[in-house]
Amino acid sequence: MNDAIKLAFDVAAFASIMVLVVSGLAVIASLMGIFNLGHGEFVLLGAYTVFLFREWGLPIWLGMMVAPFIVGLFGAGIERGVIRRLYAQPVIAMLATYAIGLIIREIVRGLIGGQYYAIEEPIAGAFEIGDLSFSIWRAVIIGATVTVMVVSYLFLTRSNLGLQIRGALENPQLARACGVSTTRLYALTFAFGSALAGLAGALMVPLFSLSADLGVRFLVQAFLSVMLGGVGTFAGPLLGAAAIGSMVPGYQWLREIPGIADQVSPVVAEVLVFVTALTIVKFRPNGLIRAGRK
Amino acid sequence: MSKIDRMTRRGFLSGTSALAAAGWTAAGAGWVLAPDWAHAAGPIKMGIATDITGAIAPSGNANWQTAQFAVKQINDAGGILGRPIELSLEDTASDPGVAVGNVRRLIQSAQVDVVLGGITSAMREAIKNPIVRRGKTLYIYPQLYEGQECTKHLYCTGPTPAQQCARLLPYLIKEKGHKRFAMPSANYIWPQLLNKWARRVIEENGAEVVMEEYFPLDQLEYSATVAKIMSEGVDHVFNTVIPPGLQAFTKQLYEAGYYEKGSQSCVYFDENSVHYVAARELEGVYSCVDMFHTVDDPFTQKLIADYNAMFPDTKYQFTAGTAATGMYRGIKLYEQAVIATNGDLARDAVSTALDSASIAQGPGGPARIVPGTGHTEMNMYIAQSKGGKWDIISAENTVPPEECG
Repeated sequence: MNDAIKLAFDVAAFASIMVLVVSGLAVIASLMGIFNLGHGEFVLLGAYTVFLFREWGLPIWLGMMVAPFIVGLFGAGIERGVIRRLYAQPVIAMLATYAIGLIIREIVRGLIGGQYYAIEEPIAGAFEIGDLSFSIWRAVIIGATVTVMVVSYLFLTRSNLGLQIRGALENPQLARACGVSTTRLYALTFAFGSALAGLAGALMVPLFSLSADLGVRFLVQAFLSVMLGGVGTFAGPLLGAAAIGSMVPGYQWLREIPGIADQVSPVVAEVLVFVTALTIVKFRPNGLIRAGRK
Repeated sequence: MSKIDRMTRRGFLSGTSALAAAGWTAAGAGWVLAPDWAHAAGPIKMGIATDITGAIAPSGNANWQTAQFAVKQINDAGGILGRPIELSLEDTASDPGVAVGNVRRLIQSAQVDVVLGGITSAMREAIKNPIVRRGKTLYIYPQLYEGQECTKHLYCTGPTPAQQCARLLPYLIKEKGHKRFAMPSANYIWPQLLNKWARRVIEENGAEVVMEEYFPLDQLEYSATVAKIMSEGVDHVFNTVIPPGLQAFTKQLYEAGYYEKGSQSCVYFDENSVHYVAARELEGVYSCVDMFHTVDDPFTQKLIADYNAMFPDTKYQFTAGTAATGMYRGIKLYEQAVIATNGDLARDAVSTALDSASIAQGPGGPARIVPGTGHTEMNMYIAQSKGGKWDIISAENTVPPEECG
């Protein structure tokens, strides 16, 4: 029983991190049809903002609050300067985002001298229920992810702007014909997706420490999540992220079953995540949730 | 030269112009630091091949600075038998593929008499043939490593598994009473071979290894492993997970409450670790290397002070885990070998002399190449992290490398 609770918490914590990382990517991919290959570096920028706040002697929690806004503004700038010119050529846009990501990553690597930096959680340590101990910060991340998802859901389904976004997602031409400025919507969406990436980076950096390659480590799994969940809806990629995020610790835990640990090394467990995801995609090529109309 | 502590492009360029001001000149893609005085026979040419850029750059830059530091000491004291040392640098860029070509330039264009460098085992494997076999040049490798490198004319000046484990593990078992060991590790050659050594020492001393597991280097999630460490009653974690996986692992281990139940050791930890491991997760961890800044040896203390005076405010400290101590030791041992050949720089002559070279003083204490092994006998220190400093628990003099013999 204790093991099951611990397992559920660990799986929920890692799945939350994945969902948070993927949400920004999913928003941009679903609405704009652009895969932001620089997404990992937007996550890195969020983490780097927190690092800067610490270096300046400001509270870390303040850095975490500010990071989404800074990265969101940065995303808006990138959208205006680069992405906007490439809406007609999604492949070129993808390469451009890759280049932007590479530039950000190498600049950050230079700024931090290629080193790793541990960043303390604003609320550190663990709390205990019974004889089980849970990480406070992981609990905070689970809470933050649930909050962000609920707010985003309400925003998309209840607000006027959300309606416009859903309209533009469903049928851009018709939306424009109805007087909705898709250009403005796209700019907003890109900024919003960037802000989510910034938030993800800021919240998770205490768990993994800051290094230039922080974002890269999540990017492949994030894309796998989008593929698994299906492009074109908001829920799909997030479901995919939850699935991938559960499988990563899940397969490691499977090894606790007697007899399996000898057969499956941690390296193999990591590969199994990909094998499982690709097998599902083979049988459901459009992902777990299919886009309504396209 | 302290400007080069941040490797931005702009910082690098302004840093390199500072290098030029300090006497460095660009030679093709590499750099040459010519001495400021000359000898009729010309300078002794020393090549440094290390990771100035890329993932290993923090260690590489420490090695580079250490080489400049050691060579400046020698040149200021009148050179080796009156001849100054000229230093050539090639960036191995943390990429064995790139490194081979660059190192070849050291041999063919700069025609150096000796090459020092390489940090990872993959790098050593990649550059040893271009240097030793095809290049017919002496090679000195400075990093602590997994052992079993017995190539002729290749000398290792960093600690071996025997030096790192043979004292630390019996101490943990006999003095601290630890009985159940876990060996979580990154999946590459250094942890694999080091663990082989460690397991033997652990079992010979009557303790047992409860688990030994190898993870992908960038694994992010360790909850299952940590749960197993907790449930198996492990009382010592012999940790060879490396960054970036390390931080996630130690955090999960800490949060699971392990630190109240058992202890941990990590034999590449040094004064830099406080930057990349959170302070409370570093507290109480044991390490065993050839020098700590807290070593009670006047020569070592002066070395550290002089290094810091030459590179004030540097991010790249003079520590054991970055191979900086091995680099310094290597250069000074080479100096002794050339003195022994009476200035003959031919590879075979210097190599024969180096095979039994020794220095009376060095980082952490004296050092001596054990004849016929290509490895170095040195002092080893067991220390425990306390409040951001390494508390020396025990020092053992002249510990043999136990390799290639």
